[in-house]
Amino acid sequence: MPWDVIFFYLIGGVSVLTALGVVVANNPVHAGIFLVICFLNVAGIFVMLGAEFLAVTQVIVYTGAILVLVLFVLMLVDPDDLPEFHTARPVQRYVGFLLGAVLLLEVGAAILTWTRFAPEGTATPENIAFVGGNTQALGRLLYTDYLLAFEVISLVLIVGIIGAIVLALPERLGERTGTRRDTISLGHARGTDTAALPVGPRGETPITVDRDRAQPTPAMTRGLIMAKDADEYTTV
Amino acid sequence: MGELGIEHFLFLSAALFIIGMMGVLTRRNVLIIFMCVELMVTAVNISLVAFGVATDTMNGQAFVIFTVSVAAAEAAVGLGIILALNRRGKSLDVDDIRALRD
Repeated sequence: MPWDVIFFYLIGGVSVLTALGVVVANNPVHAGIFLVICFLNVAGIFVMLGAEFLAVTQVIVYTGAILVLVLFVLMLVDPDDLPEFHTARPVQRYVGFLLGAVLLLEVGAAILTWTRFAPEGTATPENIAFVGGNTQALGRLLYTDYLLAFEVISLVLIVGIIGAIVLALPERLGERTGTRRDTISLGHARGTDTAALPVGPRGETPITVDRDRAQPTPAMTRGLIMAKDADEYTTV
Repeated sequence: MGELGIEHFLFLSAALFIIGMMGVLTRRNVLIIFMCVELMVTAVNISLVAFGVATDTMNGQAFVIFTVSVAAAEAAVGLGIILALNRRGKSLDVDDIRALRD
């Protein structure tokens, strides 16, 4: 068996197994890690197909950007809101597996009876090597035939980013997002953090604060308190 | 089995796509469903590149560039929707998200 077939079965097998892991994993973080491994293996598949630029894109965009974003969102949401796998309705699961099996048979039949009727293209390995490589050939195609689509996709990305910002904003600006939990901070007890002023005769001379001679009150030297709320230790 | 043909890659793509589809159909966690959609997009990318290699054209790889871009935009918007849902105190169970149906 030639080496490329062995490597294909190795990479493809790992990617299929980790894809199954995504579907059956109970913990969403485990599913995310499985998906990272699966996408890295898909990048290997792209290398085997001769699409080196897409392999790098796969690693940077999918595993580097999208899945990190997914894991960030996973950390931001409340884990109590995530439903469990085993509470799925059985009929839902059976229908899912049945549809999957039917679709696999159908697509398998289509692949096995597939015949090529498209005319031969010009992107033979010799021509790609003549242009300078996969990236150069892809760039030439993107900036000539697909120039309009390329500009439109940048517009799609900008609109997507603006939409994400609008969706992630709170409903009113300045509003705290989520419910405020208890914050525990260290601070002086309320009313005890004002320095003791020297008492002068009333109404005669203005009081000047001598900072060197101002002594802390006994309440200040009592130490720090544990405050659960900001209002406990700040003056209004 | 001996020679690495285009059918190998198409079968791998079909397997990944169907696994992702079964995940979308059977899971109820919105985040898992999102990951399965990404898996399906990737499976289609493998098919596009494989067809491009089979017909000696670069068009399949150009299409993959576009699908990756759309997937990135979809990730931004979808995760924004998930965060907005969670902030309103809603569960992330797809069976509980029925604001558009009721």
